[in-house]
Amino acid sequence: MAISKDVYKEFEDVVGEENISDDPAIKDAYRSPNITVVLPGDTEEVAAVVKLCNKHKIPFKAQSTGWSFMPPTYDFIFLDLRRMNCIIEINEKNMYAVVEPYVISAELQGELFKRGMICNVKGSGSTCTALAMSGHGHMGLTTSTGDRNDLATEWVTDEGEIIRLGTLGASDEWFCGDGPGPSLRGILRGGGVITKQATKVYHWPGPSVYPLEGSSPRYTLSQKPSDLNMMVRYFSFPSIEKLVEAELKIGESEIAFELMGFCPSMVSSNITTSNEEDFATLDKFTKEVQGPGFMVIIAGNFPEDFAYKKKVLAQIIKETGGKSLKTVEDPAVESTLLFQCTRVCASIRETFRAGGAFSSMMVQGQRYDNHVRWLEEAAVLKRELIKKGLVIADDGQQFGWGEEQGHLGHTEIFCRFNPYDEKSSKAVQEWLGKVGKRALDGCFAVPAMGVLPIDEIGKHVSNYHIWFGKLKKAFDPNEVGENTGYSYVGADISGVHTSIYKKEPEKASSKK
Amino acid sequence: MAIEDYRGDVEMCCRCGACKHIPLQKVKGIEHSYACPSIAKYNFHAYSGSGRLLIAKEMLTKGFKYTDKLLDIVYNCQMCGACDISCKYAMDMEVLLPINEFRIKCVEEGHTHPALEKVINSLRKQGTMVPGARGKRAAWAEGLGLKDATKEKVAVYYHVGCLTSYDKNYQKLAKATAKILKKAGVDFGIGYENESCCGGRAFQMGYKEDFLNQAKKNMAMLKKAGVKTLVTGCAAGYQAFKVLYDKYNLKGKLEVVHITEYLARLIKEGKLKLNKKVNMTVTYHDPCYLGRLGEPWIHWEGKRIPGYKFVFDPPKEYRRGTNGVYEPPREVIKSIPGLKLAEMDRIKEYAWCCGAGGGVNQSNPEFAMWTAKERIEEAESTGAEAIATACPWCEKNFNEAIKKSGSALKVYDIVELVEKAI
Repeated sequence: MAISKDVYKEFEDVVGEENISDDPAIKDAYRSPNITVVLPGDTEEVAAVVKLCNKHKIPFKAQSTGWSFMPPTYDFIFLDLRRMNCIIEINEKNMYAVVEPYVISAELQGELFKRGMICNVKGSGSTCTALAMSGHGHMGLTTSTGDRNDLATEWVTDEGEIIRLGTLGASDEWFCGDGPGPSLRGILRGGGVITKQATKVYHWPGPSVYPLEGSSPRYTLSQKPSDLNMMVRYFSFPSIEKLVEAELKIGESEIAFELMGFCPSMVSSNITTSNEEDFATLDKFTKEVQGPGFMVIIAGNFPEDFAYKKKVLAQIIKETGGKSLKTVEDPAVESTLLFQCTRVCASIRETFRAGGAFSSMMVQGQRYDNHVRWLEEAAVLKRELIKKGLVIADDGQQFGWGEEQGHLGHTEIFCRFNPYDEKSSKAVQEWLGKVGKRALDGCFAVPAMGVLPIDEIGKHVSNYHIWFGKLKKAFDPNEVGENTGYSYVGADISGVHTSIYKKEPEKASSKK
Repeated sequence: MAIEDYRGDVEMCCRCGACKHIPLQKVKGIEHSYACPSIAKYNFHAYSGSGRLLIAKEMLTKGFKYTDKLLDIVYNCQMCGACDISCKYAMDMEVLLPINEFRIKCVEEGHTHPALEKVINSLRKQGTMVPGARGKRAAWAEGLGLKDATKEKVAVYYHVGCLTSYDKNYQKLAKATAKILKKAGVDFGIGYENESCCGGRAFQMGYKEDFLNQAKKNMAMLKKAGVKTLVTGCAAGYQAFKVLYDKYNLKGKLEVVHITEYLARLIKEGKLKLNKKVNMTVTYHDPCYLGRLGEPWIHWEGKRIPGYKFVFDPPKEYRRGTNGVYEPPREVIKSIPGLKLAEMDRIKEYAWCCGAGGGVNQSNPEFAMWTAKERIEEAESTGAEAIATACPWCEKNFNEAIKKSGSALKVYDIVELVEKAI
């Protein structure tokens, strides 16, 4: 047992016997041999668990729905928030929803559809938490990024104090993240435990329930997308410049509901139901496209609105030399893309199905055209791995898109590979390091966590990591909150994307 | 195949969480979004399909270490296969098969569950999965003048099943089935005392050898009797004869048909007329072993192509729940005058389990009841007066849960509804 029986009993007294375990089988399922798992049922239990961690100087980490494997944890107490899965409120008038951490996006989205509304869904998919935390996704054009959607928040600090942020700090209202009341949105990431949060919701012109027919994995719409005043198209362009021009024009005209910078491999993954079918479809698409592209979804509020938006789109595509991928014009394919990409249900096909793992380098926040050059360079390096047969062959495809109608942007490139093949894993990790360094050195962008050591990134970005370290000390004097990836000075978590598959996590060590 | 043969599959688990929920396109809100009863009840990730695979992956690497908790995880699973379907919406990998093999390994290495041991002892001694069964297997047929298929040639063999044969509360299903088949002029017979357990539930519980013994015994009897078409009213029996016997190359050319498929066929051919009105609104519960797990077995042998892709030579065709028996029961319900069908949120390949599968009704009755109550509440939310199903194990579990919860919902097997209509 990682912690003494007496201490274990104290945690057990908080959550109940059935909601704590340090059995090897339970830990195997979390791939962390040194943890004790607790399942708090509400905010008060979270706070009590965290206070106990402080009392005994035991590190802790919390997780909502989880997606993929988190970096190896060296912690003793792992808070699995699965029992906290309630939608607290949907406020139609003020356009927000309040959720607990284990509400998945599909659940919230399903409830919102009935009310003619929709929430942002992270690109990792609708099986992930509906909390408005970091994450960029398919609907970014309309609903922006995850962290631009968070409103009032209930937060348990690393010391176990329950803090209500934004309007919640001054009232019972959840409509604003910045006040009246304290705003700590800038430092939320990685520290403490978010136990409830309000997220923005948006107008949804689509149906309250998609009229689906057939059986898994081949659901189809019983109506044509056009019958729902909706349309999906994939356009490829002669150059990146033309693609960016088209994206910006679409953003300016505000005609699209969704613009996803899919590469052909992501389209083929979404519409196919097996690897073999996927690779064959990708081969076909690769020959059909003329260059970089994106998928766009038009959603009209009524027939005239739909007609107007389609007309504007046609004009933009004409002006920018876009070419429509014929396969996507087939209503059967179109409808599959429509419900896959508005419900964000097939991210796993895009990422994990082919080889079992993917490692991604993403750049987000700036405008797409600012960092797209980096993306091209990263693709050249990726093609070298493809040539050597180390990663899935997808012609080095990369992707990106404008968010908030093009004011912000996201670019990303990932390699899909077999994580149990040492050569592949090593090659991917080296590639991540190279493209991450290139992003920094070329002043393109800041690579996401796990690509380079925090210290190396920080010195390029106003030494933010030092400030973060100071904040960490202030909020977590006992150093029990595990957020290595964000703030610990000197922490090197580069390599986590691939190492989780082959390395045993090190023995737990208390940070006393 | 053993758990070791699924190493590649368990390593493919990316811990996305899809196995916990129904296919995401089908999620309509916060209610009825879960597919897996085990994770919904027990909360630790270990109780999900993904958790089970990750445990298997770790143990395949480090060796199998059996703890009470591990066995609690292993046996608190209805083997309903919902996780398998939700995963395979997106992924190319096996989920239920390695989970099943893990349980078989537990049994083979002596880590059994005492309640299930009792059931299996009954199977070994009496050829039935109903412990304490007394009297003759075909006592229900006395006076009905049914043909003995082991003594005279018949076109159709009706395999009654253990629960329907021995449980007095469910012998009505056998009687109704016989009455309907007679009414439709079907030349059928039963096995009387030569009928034996199909072995399907033994397999679900992890007792592969006992299952194989039963399968061999049954096929020898059926072959000797010259049976070409077997009809059964039990979903577990259907899946055993149709899918598992085929998996182990024991089925031969035997045609296996569930009673709902057979009735739908008779109605279409005009051989069975349903004239009497049954004024009622029902909702239909898809039994796991008739629905998603009733999908035919796909024989495949091949090897993973070395390299970075998870692909095989020859290409592997996965069973994804697409071809289960979903429409025939609904067709029969819709053929009954006056009867209205109101569908639940979770249906067909993503139906919620009744709770009785995998031996859970015997190993952990409280969990079986909890699972059934969830389904009963879902059924009630449709406004239906009754829940119709097509498996005696489902009917029994629902009836017990209704009795405990005080619900006013009625439970019928489809044959009971058809009986009312003729």
